[in-house]
Amino acid sequence: MTRAPFGRDAAISAGFFFALGLAWEFGVRWSGVASYLLPPPSAILGELWQSRSPILAQSLVTLTEVFWGFLIAVALGVPIAALIHFSRTAKRTVYPLFVALQSIPKIGLAPLIVVWFGYGLASKLMMAFLFAFFPIIIATLGGLASTPAHLEEHFRALRATPMQGFWRLRVPAALPSFLDGCKVAMPLAVIGAVVGEFVGSNDGLGNLILTASGSGHTTLTFAALIAVTVLSLLLFYGVAYWERFIWWRAA
Amino acid sequence: MSAVISLSGAGKLFGGRRVLENVSAEIGASEFVSILGPSGCGKSTLLRLIAGLVPFEEGHIRFNGADVTAPSADMGFVFQTSNLLPWLNVRDNLLLGVDLDPAAKRPDAAALADLVETLGLTGFEDSHPHQLSGGMRHRVAIGQALARGPQVLLMDEPFGALDALTRDRLNMELLRIWQRDRKTVVLVTHSIAEAVLLSDRVLVMSERPGTIVEDVRIDLPRPRDPSVTRENPAFGDYVVRLSKLMGVA
Repeated sequence: MTRAPFGRDAAISAGFFFALGLAWEFGVRWSGVASYLLPPPSAILGELWQSRSPILAQSLVTLTEVFWGFLIAVALGVPIAALIHFSRTAKRTVYPLFVALQSIPKIGLAPLIVVWFGYGLASKLMMAFLFAFFPIIIATLGGLASTPAHLEEHFRALRATPMQGFWRLRVPAALPSFLDGCKVAMPLAVIGAVVGEFVGSNDGLGNLILTASGSGHTTLTFAALIAVTVLSLLLFYGVAYWERFIWWRAA
Repeated sequence: MSAVISLSGAGKLFGGRRVLENVSAEIGASEFVSILGPSGCGKSTLLRLIAGLVPFEEGHIRFNGADVTAPSADMGFVFQTSNLLPWLNVRDNLLLGVDLDPAAKRPDAAALADLVETLGLTGFEDSHPHQLSGGMRHRVAIGQALARGPQVLLMDEPFGALDALTRDRLNMELLRIWQRDRKTVVLVTHSIAEAVLLSDRVLVMSERPGTIVEDVRIDLPRPRDPSVTRENPAFGDYVVRLSKLMGVA
């Protein structure tokens, strides 16, 4: 694969998005669409700057919910996946249970979660957790099952104990798949938290979107949406960053 | 010469299908023995039986007089695929067997450097497998088996997946290493020329269910060298004789 120089790629992308922004800006102005329906980008950017301190504060609330929800999803998902992988009983009981639970639309669960866990951090954390949990279990399971049989035999020939086989072969072999799962789960955790905020909350970016649009403050709605998107992107790349430490996925 | 490995009437069934039947042989100290047979004759399985990797139902296999029931620290196994761990560098891959097995003796820095040099891997100690050529990966795999200082080296078509040129070169290096410290080697191969070139004895196996049909002693002078040994008229005679036994000539 030949690759154009990075600078040129970036310039093409930036130029494209700038042109898109211009089309939006002047399309809105010339067509006379009411700005409470579709504000021009200049107004949204202005709003972002003006409301920077509430937006940052609400972003921090949502970030906290996502962070803990995701962390707990990893902390519980990985050992549960290991349990399912190693225990036939767990494979017949715990695994179908999670598959069934996963099939419940989690958005439909949100009102119940708010009733159970209240309007504060706990319910949003729970929503982020629920969204992130399943992809992490599935990816970890796939990773643990992906140890090549010839390497397992090799470890037996080297007289490795089952514990050595787990920590020194299965775990590193599972890491690439686990990280893929995290890359899927992280943006889902953001969606989970925002849905939780929609259903019942006093703060957070989802709350900001809801209150701003409810009061006809469309520019703030757009500004908050941009903040959610940026947050999600940053978190995604925060996870993807760790890929450089598991270069062997290609090997 | 006392037998290091002795097989008597060994047999193996896989789910009711007979794979090996009544295999008997003695392999002495410092002998280089090849097991030669057609594809699917069970020669790789036989090697795994000797290594204690695969349980068997019939007969006995003894290593230094004791029945083989599990892999031994005194045997090194070199697999058909190089089986390196992609997340470890060359040094850590070489020492993997030593790290995993408390019964294995860890080579000191000088011994390790010597091994790296013997394998022609000097300067690549910190490289990872994906940065190495196929031939180098196989040399690391052999080094990993040697690093434990085993008495016996079991090799399952270790160069089977390599191109002819690389294979030749690795065979030469294998000869050099073997001629240096004369470990007992059992090599599984389907290449007649490779078996003749390397071995003191060639055990010829039949089609499945595999059994040893002939034990051929290769009386070619050592040290051997692929380019020189192949010119020896006796080399060609051995190849013809083994080909006839294998039913390919």
